[in-house]
Amino acid sequence: MNTAYSHYYDASSLFHGSLLNIMGTRLDAVFIETDKALCELVWQRVVAELSRLDKMFNRFDIESEIYSVNLRAATESVIASDELMSVLINCKRYHNLSLGLFDVTLSDFNAVNLDTEHQTISFSAKNVSIDFGACAKGYALEKVKQMLVDANIKDALIDFGNSSVLALGHHPFGDCWKISVENPFRRGEIVDEIELRDEALSTSGNMPTHLKHIVNPGTHQFIEDEKIVSVVTQNSFDAEVLSTALMIANPEEQGKILAHFDHASFKEYIL
Amino acid sequence: MSTDKNTKQVDLELRQFIKNLGYMAGGTALLTTMPWLQSFTTGKLSEIKNEKARVAILGTGSRGQYHILNLLRIPHAEIVALCDNYPPNLKTASDLCPKAKTYTDYRKMLESKDIDGVIICTPLNWHAPMVLDSLAAGKHTFCEKSMALTMDECKAIYEAYLHTDRVLYFGMQRLFDEKYIKGLSMIHSGLIGDIVGIRCHWFRNNDWRRPVPSPELERKINWRLYWESSGGLTTELATHQLEVSNWAMKRIPESVVGMGDIVFWKDGREVYDSISLTYHYRNGVKTTYESLISNKFNGLGEQVLGHKGTMELEKGQYFFEDVAPAPGILQLINNVEKRVFSTVPIAGPSWVPETASKQKPHYVIEGMVHATSGGSMVGAENDGSDNLISAFCQAVITGEKAKDIVEECYSSTMLCLLGNQAMKEQRKVDFPDEYKIPYLKF
Repeated sequence: MNTAYSHYYDASSLFHGSLLNIMGTRLDAVFIETDKALCELVWQRVVAELSRLDKMFNRFDIESEIYSVNLRAATESVIASDELMSVLINCKRYHNLSLGLFDVTLSDFNAVNLDTEHQTISFSAKNVSIDFGACAKGYALEKVKQMLVDANIKDALIDFGNSSVLALGHHPFGDCWKISVENPFRRGEIVDEIELRDEALSTSGNMPTHLKHIVNPGTHQFIEDEKIVSVVTQNSFDAEVLSTALMIANPEEQGKILAHFDHASFKEYIL
Repeated sequence: MSTDKNTKQVDLELRQFIKNLGYMAGGTALLTTMPWLQSFTTGKLSEIKNEKARVAILGTGSRGQYHILNLLRIPHAEIVALCDNYPPNLKTASDLCPKAKTYTDYRKMLESKDIDGVIICTPLNWHAPMVLDSLAAGKHTFCEKSMALTMDECKAIYEAYLHTDRVLYFGMQRLFDEKYIKGLSMIHSGLIGDIVGIRCHWFRNNDWRRPVPSPELERKINWRLYWESSGGLTTELATHQLEVSNWAMKRIPESVVGMGDIVFWKDGREVYDSISLTYHYRNGVKTTYESLISNKFNGLGEQVLGHKGTMELEKGQYFFEDVAPAPGILQLINNVEKRVFSTVPIAGPSWVPETASKQKPHYVIEGMVHATSGGSMVGAENDGSDNLISAFCQAVITGEKAKDIVEECYSSTMLCLLGNQAMKEQRKVDFPDEYKIPYLKF
């Protein structure tokens, strides 16, 4: 059960919404917009959409579509919704562009067969399971961006659990949104300051409390380096995929992967 | 007189804050809701920098001495006269400001042409005659809270205020206390949602007595303990907090019920040492007021309960019911409110919920944790009293009348007196029509 909270600061024309327990983390949204009612309406739409996506992508929820696919696709062809099909086709594309390092199965995406004609999914190996953990937030942020664009809210900052940030327009007293990257191993230490304007920032890395959560799908080794990577692109889904893939990639692979993406800037911080 | 450089500009911080409000988006709108602060700026201070308000202290007991110490640090104030009919207090005050002329009869003092303003810090039963005489003598007048001992006296003062061209102030220092000003403006901006209830309390553990050198002086020195000169815990303590309650609600209660008893200090006093009151606003919101003076565990405080959060005004902190904004986002919001463009420290690996989710406080003034225990029988430091007395002295020079301060004091004093009536008569008491003034919104 997630909890939504919102508040409008009249003096600053600033709307702030918080959503807790969403996709395993929290989301904070800041809109700079004089139309308070519009902010509240858009926020309600955002909360509803994120809740829907949370349910769709949650592989532990027995009512979710992905749970059913993971359970049955190794033994039968499972009919998938348009949306799930299109997300997986995108994931396949990203898998190829990232030299196989972005992999929603965390082991062997080639075992996932997407039959676009019959709109079915099947797994050609046992123990295959799809986990959208590395990209769901990016996909969701693209949906949120579309809602803001449709509502003509031009200046907004969305912080999805710190690792995924979407910045539209600019800060009310600046020409962009400035975001600092914190060192997770030394609280309060800023390793970089990044300026965003109509861009998405995704950060991947390890934390003292979570050292084994990024795995190389080829070697099945955890990436345990004390480092973080950040990627800025115009598309949140791209940013999300790239930050994970580039966290795993060696320098040579990093160059090859980045060559496939326009306007992506990448930084690696050895902590 | 003291000219300590570091302590002289006692009121600059709040003045600067008020001035800055003028430059902030929405700041002017905020100031219109707190009109008594409009002239309290550094600019106004520099306009009067070569002038001095010549003030007299009427009543040189503990509260009078407290004001003297603050006045000595205010450059635009000069204490020219002192008056008391209790020689030891007059002597102590005179030692603090030896140049001031001393009087034992306040009417004599009011005849002096060398006095511009009078600061009254006497027992409650003396407030009305002294305020009325002071205004009639053409003096700008400041009087400690509460306004007066009876409702009729309050009404008489209010009428005099309507007709005088003199400045009149009352000791409602929370109106000049930065944490209250900011906290209330945050409440009014909707931070904690709709107000659904207010809880006020003031607890101490002492007998509320002053040493009496000789038995016949008991009622004179311990005036707080007898109905002829005091309203007890309501007029001496609750008045401040009921004022804050009305400030938060932007209206005043229409009725009150309550109980009062002498539970512990059975020493011949008349006023209750334990009171519980419930004030009822027309929209159903209730302010509960509790005070007793034989247990100090809870100290003092005003909790404004909203459907989204809780503001503890005295502590300058607030809590959210459910979701607290992420610290980086909160910093961003605070900076936007201050019109500051700065970086938002949020980026990093995924935020993972902490298992222990205890409600954590947020602070009205960053880095400020200044709450008084409420134990002092004289007055706490930095509680707005110094700002208030500075504002009065400024007004003595400029002649600018105070906005809303008399009305706020009238409202809260009336509520104290109605609370006393409810407790004494053990019944629900409605706000009487004959004491309603146009300012009051029920």
